[in-house]
Amino acid sequence: MSIIEAEKASFSYGQQNVLQNISMKVREGEMFCLFGPNGCGKTTLIQCLLGILKTSSGTIRLRGRDIRSMKAVEIARELAYIPQAHEKPFPYKVIDVVLMGRVSYTGLFSLPKKEDRKTAEEALERVGMLSFKDKPYTQLSGGETQLVMVARALAQQTPVLVMDEPTAHLDFRNELGFLETIVRLVKDTKITVVMATHFPNHAFYFENSNIESRVALMNEKMFYAQGRPDEVLTEYNMYDIFKIKSKLIAHQWEEGKLKQILPIKTYG
Amino acid sequence: MAPFLLIFISLFIGRYPLSMGQVIGVLGIKTGLSATAPLPIHINVVWDIRLPRAILGALVGGSLAVSGAAFQGLFRNPLVSSGVLGVSAGAGFGASLAIILFGSDTFYVYAFAFCFGILAVVLSYVIGTNYTSTPTIMLVLGGVVVSSIFSSLVSLLKYIADPYEQLPSIVFWLMGSMASARFKDIAISAIPMGVGMAGLVAMRWRLNVLSMDDREAQALGVNIIFVKGLAILFATLATAGAVCVSGVIGWVGLVVPHMGRMLSGNDNTVLVPTCLSIGAGYLIIVDNVARTLTGSEIPLGILTSIMGAPFFVYLLKKTKGRGW
Repeated sequence: MSIIEAEKASFSYGQQNVLQNISMKVREGEMFCLFGPNGCGKTTLIQCLLGILKTSSGTIRLRGRDIRSMKAVEIARELAYIPQAHEKPFPYKVIDVVLMGRVSYTGLFSLPKKEDRKTAEEALERVGMLSFKDKPYTQLSGGETQLVMVARALAQQTPVLVMDEPTAHLDFRNELGFLETIVRLVKDTKITVVMATHFPNHAFYFENSNIESRVALMNEKMFYAQGRPDEVLTEYNMYDIFKIKSKLIAHQWEEGKLKQILPIKTYG
Repeated sequence: MAPFLLIFISLFIGRYPLSMGQVIGVLGIKTGLSATAPLPIHINVVWDIRLPRAILGALVGGSLAVSGAAFQGLFRNPLVSSGVLGVSAGAGFGASLAIILFGSDTFYVYAFAFCFGILAVVLSYVIGTNYTSTPTIMLVLGGVVVSSIFSSLVSLLKYIADPYEQLPSIVFWLMGSMASARFKDIAISAIPMGVGMAGLVAMRWRLNVLSMDDREAQALGVNIIFVKGLAILFATLATAGAVCVSGVIGWVGLVVPHMGRMLSGNDNTVLVPTCLSIGAGYLIIVDNVARTLTGSEIPLGILTSIMGAPFFVYLLKKTKGRGW
């Protein structure tokens, strides 16, 4: 069954068209990667899927309901959002940031309850950040901050996580650690993930980790191809869209098959 | 609790010396607990001057501090104060206009100050609204524009005001004072201040979320336009209610929230009540100094910063600007 479904969705800022005829289905428990060059419309699509931007034509449905007819609080119980970079306005404690994930369960004039605090702590525990609970989150590194953002999303207790290039500002190790956390969550909780990314190998990483993965390759406001990672992330498609020569390699090792696509050189 | 204690202590402070028994006597007769009539002058000093001033000080201080904290959260900027959307400048213009049109001791001064304070915020909001969203930077710029317009208009009014009667009244009003406090004034201005403060205290946890990026806050389940508008409404009611009876009192709406941040952290569920207490207590103390230090009144706006600055520097040094 599909949780999120877009049907010929288009979006434009004034006269400028940013998304054109996007059709997609995100199935329960799968990893759906949005991949494509800078400026192709990934972030805009993410905002539309979250109901923050309203499509100018076509529809986006969340569990069969038109997202335009849903209130922010209703959407927030289905979809949790992890931004690319989080701006830290005040040195809140880590736990206070994670507690914000409970807003959609709390009345406008109420405070978070004991159970909300417990949910927030459990969420921190699941990303391995519970020991940072009382630290000001301005003192965290980029990698730790992204894990706190994941914890906040988990505190929302939604069936779907929507992430916009969540590893864009992380170093080599933190990026891998972040992906590992996501894989563990998907396996443990059957959570569905939609993730925009700049790296084709993210999709292969999820597939190598035995998670049901699909990729939509975006280019210039549209979907160029959609399907399993090795159907979409082909040497030909890399050439056609990025004008690069690349090599898809598969390697057998003790825990299974490893697939990666190696960039080799650009064409003029 | 501290503000209530300070209100009580304020009853003993002043240039007319009163003993503990005399103050209790006045309170006793007024609350119907005692029957022995104190001297009329004592009743006058305690019940008609010191008590209303202390209560008003608490209300005004609390309002300015709480709305300052709310605006800082809302605008994700620790440098904004309760006057960021132009409410002080607008109220200043309203009061000046009323002083010139109707004289300085009239009800019109409150009414005009309040209405123009609100009008200024509405203008800032309209200027800052882009399609259906209210981006922070646009709102702040809207506030800057509106404030500067009203400040210029105040200068214009000062320029054309009668220099012997009206001009001193305007200047004195703009420097802030509790001197006009009577119970009937408190009763009127306490409504917007009370509603504003109560509203902000009630929705204080939402202020945490509003300080996040708008898109994040919306994805967390907040109806941004509505909740942000509501917070602005409450903060504006509190500030306009305060400014219209007390004049422009700077510093409280900017620095008290920072004192609160240093003492209690940045979580608004704790910060807002803390600011309420500090702001209320602080203005009671400052007003006590204002009316006792010299034979005539010292304008509050002068004292708030002169007295607050050393304390603020002390806090900065002690906490080493922790967290910033």
